[in-house]
Amino acid sequence: MARQKTVNHLGRDMWFTSLASLLAGVVTALLLGLLVFIFIPPVAAAESPVEAPSMPLDPDQVRRGSLLLRLASGGVAVDAPLLHTDVQMQVGGMLARVTVRQRFRNPGTEWVEGTYVFPLPEDAAVDRMRLRIGERLIEGEIQEKEAARKTYEAAKRSGRKASLLSQERPNIFTTAVANIAPGETVQVEIEYQQTVAYRQGEFRLRFPLVVAPRYIPGEVVEAAEVTAFQGTGWARDTVAVPDASRITPPVVDPREGPVNPVSIGIRLDAGMPLSRLESVYHPMRIESDAQAIHHLTLQAADVPADRDFELLWVPEPGDAPRAALFNESWQGDEYALLMLMPPALTATAPRVPREVIYVIDTSGSMHGDSIIQARAALQLALQRLDPADRFNVIQFNHRTSALFPRAVAAAPGNLRLARQYVEGLTADGGTEMLPALQLALGQQAEQGVLRQIVFLTDGSVGNEQALFGLIHRQLGDSRLFTVGIGSAPNSFFMTRAAQFGRGTFTYIGKVAEVAEKMAALFARLETPRLTDIEIRWPQDQAVEMWPARIPDLYQGEPVLVALKMAAAKMAGAGLPLELTGDAAGTPWRQQVTLRGGAARAGVHQLWARRKIADLMDRMAQGEAEAGIRQAVLDVALLHRLVSRYTSLVAVDKTPSRPADQGLSSKALPTNLPKGWSATKVFGSLPQTATASQWNLLLGTLLLIGGLLISRWSTLRPGLVPGMDNASARGRRV
Amino acid sequence: MKWRRVEPGVHLRRLLAALLILGGSWQVAAGGYIQAKAWLAQYLLQSAWQTTQAGGERIRPWPWADTWPLARLRVPRLAVDQVVLSGASGRTLAFGPGHLPGTALPGQAGNSVISGHRDTHFRFLRDLRPGDRLELTPANGEGLMYAVVSAEVHDQSDLWLLEQGQTLLTLITCYPFDALTPGGPERFVIRAIPVLGGGAIPPAPAATSTGGRRVYL
Repeated sequence: MARQKTVNHLGRDMWFTSLASLLAGVVTALLLGLLVFIFIPPVAAAESPVEAPSMPLDPDQVRRGSLLLRLASGGVAVDAPLLHTDVQMQVGGMLARVTVRQRFRNPGTEWVEGTYVFPLPEDAAVDRMRLRIGERLIEGEIQEKEAARKTYEAAKRSGRKASLLSQERPNIFTTAVANIAPGETVQVEIEYQQTVAYRQGEFRLRFPLVVAPRYIPGEVVEAAEVTAFQGTGWARDTVAVPDASRITPPVVDPREGPVNPVSIGIRLDAGMPLSRLESVYHPMRIESDAQAIHHLTLQAADVPADRDFELLWVPEPGDAPRAALFNESWQGDEYALLMLMPPALTATAPRVPREVIYVIDTSGSMHGDSIIQARAALQLALQRLDPADRFNVIQFNHRTSALFPRAVAAAPGNLRLARQYVEGLTADGGTEMLPALQLALGQQAEQGVLRQIVFLTDGSVGNEQALFGLIHRQLGDSRLFTVGIGSAPNSFFMTRAAQFGRGTFTYIGKVAEVAEKMAALFARLETPRLTDIEIRWPQDQAVEMWPARIPDLYQGEPVLVALKMAAAKMAGAGLPLELTGDAAGTPWRQQVTLRGGAARAGVHQLWARRKIADLMDRMAQGEAEAGIRQAVLDVALLHRLVSRYTSLVAVDKTPSRPADQGLSSKALPTNLPKGWSATKVFGSLPQTATASQWNLLLGTLLLIGGLLISRWSTLRPGLVPGMDNASARGRRV
Repeated sequence: MKWRRVEPGVHLRRLLAALLILGGSWQVAAGGYIQAKAWLAQYLLQSAWQTTQAGGERIRPWPWADTWPLARLRVPRLAVDQVVLSGASGRTLAFGPGHLPGTALPGQAGNSVISGHRDTHFRFLRDLRPGDRLELTPANGEGLMYAVVSAEVHDQSDLWLLEQGQTLLTLITCYPFDALTPGGPERFVIRAIPVLGGGAIPPAPAATSTGGRRVYL
């Protein structure tokens, strides 16, 4: 029996072998077919009614010899003026005087007006604009915004060259230059004064180079009529952002390569020996002369205007300044800028349990490097939580969602969930920030718990004022810390939001900085701060101080105020003052006498700029605009500063454009910030395929393969010579 | 115990076979689910569409849906009859072709853009020929008749296709039609212009709104 069975087996085996070979052949053929399918573009396409892909440009816009740029924000730019920007910074101690030269060249064959929307530091006191035509220089004049616009429009119509510099946001400005002849180059020179941020023993001077595309919330306003001076942006004005078309310059398609080259030169007189001097994002050559003055130039001749510039310098440990005083006599008044570093607090305060709400922006503008930085920062923050703390993670794009319905204890299980949640965050969609802030600010902590909101975003929104208002109204006992992410965050929003939120602003520009910057932020979150800071002046002294209320100070932050006094009080005996405050429940006071100080031009403008900033903040706090407008106008016109209500305008005396030649207006395209994805910001045509066919094919192949192997494993024993029957049977069991 | 020690290979093979069958079933189920959902949803949508036409606003086809019927698209020559949904997110497109927010609503002046999956609802796009009639019925109005004028392949970043300067019907799906995996950069775009003979003709856009509204995410 056994023998016969073996024979039987052999016969069946042969039958199966041939069947198996056949099946294997079929599978191989299928797999080969699949490979061909994958690697060779489908031929079937030729049979479908496809015409040759058309040029993705509107044909009527294409003219021979024109300079065409595809725009990521839609359409094409034809013969837009070409721009080169040169930035020269003179830094002395804590003050910087910066000259920005914008050279507009008209490459086309007709007369043009160019408009360029560009960023400046949010605290820049812009006081000068000059128009250079060949060798001639025309000085700009400060005027009320509407009057300046009319002056400019009149000059434009009459064929005279003119330039207009207006402020759209404290960190967004527009230059308009009228009547540039074909082939001609015209230069606009802008100057401003600025203080250098000094924190944790480091000086940081930032210069933004591009206005990142902003998300514009709200319903579109259907304009009754198109006015001549409407913005040229890709966004339409909305109810929430009535000037959206003025803050959204066209963005060039990244495939066209970067536009708007920038050269940068810096003369730094730090006034103290430095242990570190570094251009953080743009490599620079540094030469220091005998007077310890550092001259910096870019290593590359030009860089594209696509990410913020930052210069960092750190004094030698023993030489870190504790106080600084700059003053200026101007029109009979004494102006001063005072920096005072309070003594380091002995951090003996008991650790207060905290409730930390992390809010992370996962909108399309965060796609790419930014979301990687944000995730890394958030993971570090989660590690830093104490078991006694409570926490929650909120993410938002056009939707807001929270990891937990309410803050939970920082127990290992919850933290593990949070880490997974953060790791899985991806960036896409719009930036509806209001609901996220509402959710974060809406819940209040229990008594005795310190509630902190850490807000990671690039701030690319157009409705800043509404957000400030919300923070001001709903802050309660919470504290809001903003963390700016990416290559070109909206610093105006980030710094002001932190100020309204009584927290601080941290900027992270690259992944390598995450650990260092977050560590500094944790130090601020975990140590007590100085609150209720006041300066007491002698009884008989009238001092106008801005900001009117000194914000809370975190460790390593100085008091920085601008002062105006009736007469020169700082000569002679000096001006005594008393600084008081509260350090985590312990009263704190410091006596200081202001005497001497370094005389500097432009201090009065820094004072005026701070006053304007303070006045504008009151709008978010609910004050009516009419009163604020008048107060700002008074200051801005007197001190010659560009503001929301004042502009600088320069007009040539004689017309240059012949009356029979037309003038066309062109908006200058800007770059997409480095690391951004155009399709994530401006969208792309919808994704319109699923993997269903692939699933079905792969599934069928796997099933065939599986069945085959299972058959094979049952017929295989007979094929093995010398195998006994028992084992063959055992195998079948 | 003995047979395990002697022939471990058999066990491995069985395990492999089981894994392959399991994996295969999973893939077939996943693929079939997408196809079934696309097919079945259109039936569910028909009733929501009828309610919408009877005067309802934003009738959600099932309680948890985040979309609603906007229009009905028919191609008489290819016997296509589909309910067009609001929105063009991946979730919406699984159930039916979706109207791209920010573009003209069906029946309004401007360019109405509808997109659909190339492997389900909008597979028929490859069979369209110039001159084919498309009938688009908005929720509260008569059917509008369009004629196909072009079929072109564009890159997914060519957003000018969404510009509103002209009254058009634009149908978009992924390209190539037979690519196995999703996510390719190319789009197959059908443009159709309004024609007489099907009832109402959508109004021409006002002369001032040539710039068109940008869709910004």
